[in-house]
Amino acid sequence: MLYNVHFGVYVDVAMPVEDKSKSLLPFLSSPKLLPNESEAEFQSGLQSLLSELDNPSPLAVALVSQLNECLWWIRRHTADKELLLHEAMARLLSKAGNHWDTYDNHKVSEALEHYLDGRADKDEAVWIDEILAESKLTLSDLRVRAFKDAARHIKMVDDLIHRQHQTIRHLQRSIDSIDYKSRLIKRMDLELAALESKQPVTGALTLDDKSS
Amino acid sequence: MTTNPRRNLANQCNALKSTGPRSVAGKRASSQNSRKHGLSSVPDFESSLEYQALVDLIAKEGFSGFACADIAAGLLNYRRVMDAYYDTYTSPEPVDEFLRDANVKASNPIFIELLSPSGSEPQDVREMAAFFASMQTQERRKGGPVSRRSADSHKLIRYQRNGIARLSRAVRQG
Repeated sequence: MLYNVHFGVYVDVAMPVEDKSKSLLPFLSSPKLLPNESEAEFQSGLQSLLSELDNPSPLAVALVSQLNECLWWIRRHTADKELLLHEAMARLLSKAGNHWDTYDNHKVSEALEHYLDGRADKDEAVWIDEILAESKLTLSDLRVRAFKDAARHIKMVDDLIHRQHQTIRHLQRSIDSIDYKSRLIKRMDLELAALESKQPVTGALTLDDKSS
Repeated sequence: MTTNPRRNLANQCNALKSTGPRSVAGKRASSQNSRKHGLSSVPDFESSLEYQALVDLIAKEGFSGFACADIAAGLLNYRRVMDAYYDTYTSPEPVDEFLRDANVKASNPIFIELLSPSGSEPQDVREMAAFFASMQTQERRKGGPVSRRSADSHKLIRYQRNGIARLSRAVRQG
């Protein structure tokens, strides 16, 4: 069966699960990704979620798309927690020693980012080591201080992640409810069909009984 | 803060020149000046194309007319919140690098020069420097881009909570 949707998009209930998300309403299925994110990865996550549903309805597909987006947001926010720490570390490092004039500048942030990722060139590594030595800090000390410094914002990101978990719970309940509803309707249809198939026979018997 | 009669007079004269928008279009535009995400306004989903398409789609799944309308509106509302969330996340308040990195003490000669036409006194310069320093503290407290986008996104949590609760309720009661 084909469901006609605007923009000439159709949702075919009988089509394979992989194609359902693509044929859904564009505003429900097209992901809004950041420039450095992979759409293929997003879609593969969605397909793996959809493959767990038995013959999903368009509404279930729409809800699963929203659920996949929540998982994506959790990923983003988790990465943000680390970035917040790096930001605070760079700020502390710039403030330390004689680097007040370069407060939180891009150079310190970039060099530290490279240093922590293990991508720093020789000059950057030497420079970061120098600043650390000047401020009498080790990298782990710096991290601890940065955590304390960025605690307020890290708490905010934790709240954002928690919110996504709550949203996922709501969506799961909704999907379960749709699934249960469709099973219930199917079962009632079957029972009705069974009753209908029995009714003429019993009806005939009662008539026969009356006539006799 | 001490008052300077000459400066007060100048401020009052300038205020008389500022009359705000005069045309209807100008008034309409300026009425949106403080609009941030628009999630507090009541949306009209029923006249949108998406709404009708969704209602038709959901109706074929065996939901009643009222339930279809509720679910479609809930889904569109949730999408609206998530789109605003994405926009807020991707465009946080920009970092004012000048204000953040400026040396307040070294800026005193600039303040003196700025205030000299209005006959400034040393007290005025000190007040201006203090004001500038407090703005700088606020700017630094907001942190870098990641801190800002986290703080901005955090403000939308309640809209997300309400949006998903509305959608979930509509689906389960349908």
